[in-house]
Amino acid sequence: MKKWVPAASGLLAGFMAATVFFADFSTGPKGTASNDTANKSNAEKVYVPYGELDEYYMLSSGGHSGQLFVYGLPSMRKIRTVPVFSPDPATGYGFDTKTKEMLGGYTWGDFHHPAISETNAEYDGKFVFANDVANNRIAAVDLSSFHTADIMEMPNMGGPHAGTFVTQNTEYIVMPTRFSVPIGKEYAPLDEFEDKYKGVVSMVKFDQKKKELDLAYQIMLPPWSYDLSDAGKKVSGDWIVMTTYNTEFATTNNEINASQNDRDYIVLLNWKELEKKVADGEYEEVNGAKMIDPRKHKGSIYAVPVAKSPHGVDVTPDGTRFIASGKLAPLMTVFSFEKAFEAIKAGNFETEKFGIPVLPYDKVVEREVDPPGALGPLHTQFDDKGNAYNTMFISSEIVKWKIATGEILDRTPVHYSPGHSTATEGDTASPDGKWIVSLNKIAKDNFLSVGPSHPESMELIDISGEKMSLTYTAPVDPEPHYAQTIHRDKIKTIKIYEKDEKREHSVWKQEDTRIERKGNEVHVYGIAMRSKFVFDAKAKRPDEIKVNQGDKVTIHLTNIDLDQDITHGFGIMDHDLNYEVQPGQTSTIEFTAEKAGTFPIYCTNFCSALHQEMSGYLLVEPK
Amino acid sequence: MAKKFSVGSMASLIGAAAFLFASIKFPWWGMKFYAPQYMEGLDIIVYPSKLEGDIDIVNGLNHYIGMAPFSNESFPELQYLPGLIIGMAILFIIIALLRRKALLYVPAVLLVAGGAIGIYDMNRWLTKFGTELDPKAPIELEPFVPPIIGENILANFVTHSYFTTGSFLLGAAFLLTLLPFWLERRK
Repeated sequence: MKKWVPAASGLLAGFMAATVFFADFSTGPKGTASNDTANKSNAEKVYVPYGELDEYYMLSSGGHSGQLFVYGLPSMRKIRTVPVFSPDPATGYGFDTKTKEMLGGYTWGDFHHPAISETNAEYDGKFVFANDVANNRIAAVDLSSFHTADIMEMPNMGGPHAGTFVTQNTEYIVMPTRFSVPIGKEYAPLDEFEDKYKGVVSMVKFDQKKKELDLAYQIMLPPWSYDLSDAGKKVSGDWIVMTTYNTEFATTNNEINASQNDRDYIVLLNWKELEKKVADGEYEEVNGAKMIDPRKHKGSIYAVPVAKSPHGVDVTPDGTRFIASGKLAPLMTVFSFEKAFEAIKAGNFETEKFGIPVLPYDKVVEREVDPPGALGPLHTQFDDKGNAYNTMFISSEIVKWKIATGEILDRTPVHYSPGHSTATEGDTASPDGKWIVSLNKIAKDNFLSVGPSHPESMELIDISGEKMSLTYTAPVDPEPHYAQTIHRDKIKTIKIYEKDEKREHSVWKQEDTRIERKGNEVHVYGIAMRSKFVFDAKAKRPDEIKVNQGDKVTIHLTNIDLDQDITHGFGIMDHDLNYEVQPGQTSTIEFTAEKAGTFPIYCTNFCSALHQEMSGYLLVEPK
Repeated sequence: MAKKFSVGSMASLIGAAAFLFASIKFPWWGMKFYAPQYMEGLDIIVYPSKLEGDIDIVNGLNHYIGMAPFSNESFPELQYLPGLIIGMAILFIIIALLRRKALLYVPAVLLVAGGAIGIYDMNRWLTKFGTELDPKAPIELEPFVPPIIGENILANFVTHSYFTTGSFLLGAAFLLTLLPFWLERRK
C-alpha cells in the first residue's frame, strides 16, 4: 500500500474542510478598496473643499417622516431637514400659531413626490410642492426660505400617491388618488366598489404672490388605483399621463387580486380641455370641489392599454413620448404622443372602459424595451444625450438605454432595490446629464450597523461618460421616494427676513416692547436679541412674564438681530412649548397658563457667547 | 484797480467747488470689522449726511463691551455738514467770479482749517465711544481709541479704518485751490 495515500487524503480533507468553513463565496458587495486609482478619482469627484459649494441641490421627499431632505451634490452631504407635514421641535414648526394651524392637528404625513415649480418645462427654483399620501394634503415649500408656505387638505381623495407633478408652467399641480373611496368618504360596503367608489384627480392651483394653494377642480375617474403621473412638455404640454393598476376592481388581497389582468391602462387627460369645460360651468359641486365627470364630457380623457400593473410613467425631455415602467412586466413601453393624437383624431378607439375611449395599443406604442434579466422597472430619468435611465427594483440595477432605438447601452448594479432615481435636472426639458442618484430601499450591511433599523441608501452615479460609474454611497433616514435635483444657480434664498415695521405684532425697538392685558388674555409683544429677551421694557424685570392661573397667554416674538444665522429659540419649561425666531422673523405662540408656579424661559437655539444667560421667567400666580 | 487772477485760476476754483458738491454724495470715511465668524466683514460707512452699513449689527455686538449704541441722531454734524459744504462751494464760486487775487487764499485756508477741525472732531467721537464704556458690560475692556486710519485689534475683531471717495474728492478740491498760486506766480 502506498504510504502517501492517507497523507494526501488527509491534506485534501483538511483543505476541503477549510474551504467549507472559511472560504467566502458570497456575492455581496466586494468594494473596490484594492482599486486605488479608481477610488482616488471617485474621491476627487465628490470632494467639495472648504469655501466651495455643491453644484446641485437634491430635494428629496422624506416619506413617512413628513419632511423634506435637502442634500448637496456631488458631496451627498445632508444640508437641512425641512419640516412639511409633521411638527419639528427644533424649529418650532407646528408649535407657533401659524404653522400649528397649517398642520391642522396632524402629527405625520407621508411625502412621496416633490415637484419643483416649472417655467417652460424647466425648474424655476421658486417653490417645491409636496404630497401627503396619508392625509390627502398638498404643501408648497418656499425655496427662498425653505419654509413651508401653505398646506391644503383635499376632499374626496384616497391618498394622492400619483402626485405631485406640475404642468410645464406650473398652471396646475396634479394630484391623482391612489385608493378609491366613495365620494365624501361616506360609508359604502366594499361589495359596491365598482358603483359607489371613485378615483379622483385633484387639479390644484398655486398663487405664487399670496403663497396660497387652491383646489381648482377635480376629475372623477373609475375606482382604479392611480400610481404615478407626469405632465407633458411642449407638443404634449396640454396633457397629463397617469398609470393605473387594479383595473380588476379588487377589494381584498390586492397583491394577488389586483395583479390578474394582463393589461392595465395609462390614462391621458387634456387639462386645457377640462379647464375650459369647468370654466363653462360643466361641473357639479361635490363637498366644496368642482367635480367634472368625464363620462358626461367626452373629448378630454382617453386610455391606452399597457403591460400589467405599471408603476412610473415619464415624459421624455422633448415631450414627444411617454415611457411606462412595467413593474410586474419586465419591460419599458415607449408610447408616442403624436401617434396617440392621430388615433384620437381618427376616432380610432378599441373599446370604451367606464365611458373612457380606449386607444388601440399597437397604434400608440413605439417599442417595448426588454433588457434581458432586468426585472421590476419602476421609474425613468433622462440625460442630455437622448438616453433614458431606468431603476430595476427586483434585479437591483440601473439600465441606460437609447430612447430613439431602444438599444441597451449600459447596466450598473445598485445596493439594493432602487425605487426612484433622480438625475441632475433629469425630468426637465433639458437634463444636465452629469449625475444620477439611485434612491435604494434596502441598505442591509452597507453602513455601520445600528441594529435592525437600517437606513435607506442613496448611490451617486456619474453619468457624464459612456459608461455609468458608481461613485459614492450615503445613508439616509427613512424614506426618500422621489427627489428632484436642481442646479444651485436657480435657487435664490434670502439671508434674513427683511425688517418690516408694518408687520402685524412685530416690535423692533426695545422701548416698544410691552405686555397688554385684556380681561384674562395676556398679549406679550417682545423681542429677542443677543443675548436677551425683552418682553416689557418698562417693567422692573423686562424678561419676566407674570400671569394669573387660567390666563390665555399670547407671545409675539420678533428677532431683531438682522444678522445672518443668528436664530433665537424660545422654550418654556414644563409647558411642552418651544419655537424659534429667525433673523428678522416675528412668530407667535399661544397657550393657557393652566399650571400655577415658576417656569424658566430660555433661548434654545445657541446664539452667542452669552446664550446661556439669555433667559427669563414665566410666573403663574395661583388662583 | 484790484489785481485780477487768470481765467485758468477761475476754472480751477470752480473745479474745486464742483468736487466739494460731488463729495456730499460719496462716503468720506469707513471702518470695516473682520472676525472669524464675520469673514465677509461688517461695515460702518460715514457719509457727510448719514451712516450706512451694518450699524444695527455693530451696535448689537458693541453692547457686550458696553459701548453706547450710535445712529444718525448721535452725530449732530450729520445735520449741518452738507449745508456747510454747499456754502463753502458757493463761496468758492463767488471768489472765482470776482477774480480778486487778494481772496485767492480763502479757499485753501478754509479747507485746511475745515480738515483739521474735521479730524479733531472724529477723534473726539472715537475717543468718546471707545472710552466711555458702560462699567456694567458683560465683557470688561480697557478703554481704547480706534485709530482714524489703519488697523486695530479688539477682542475677536480686526478693524480697518480708512478714508474713501468723498475724502479723496475733498483732497482733489484742495489741490485745485492750490493750483492758482502756481498759475499766478510772478514770471
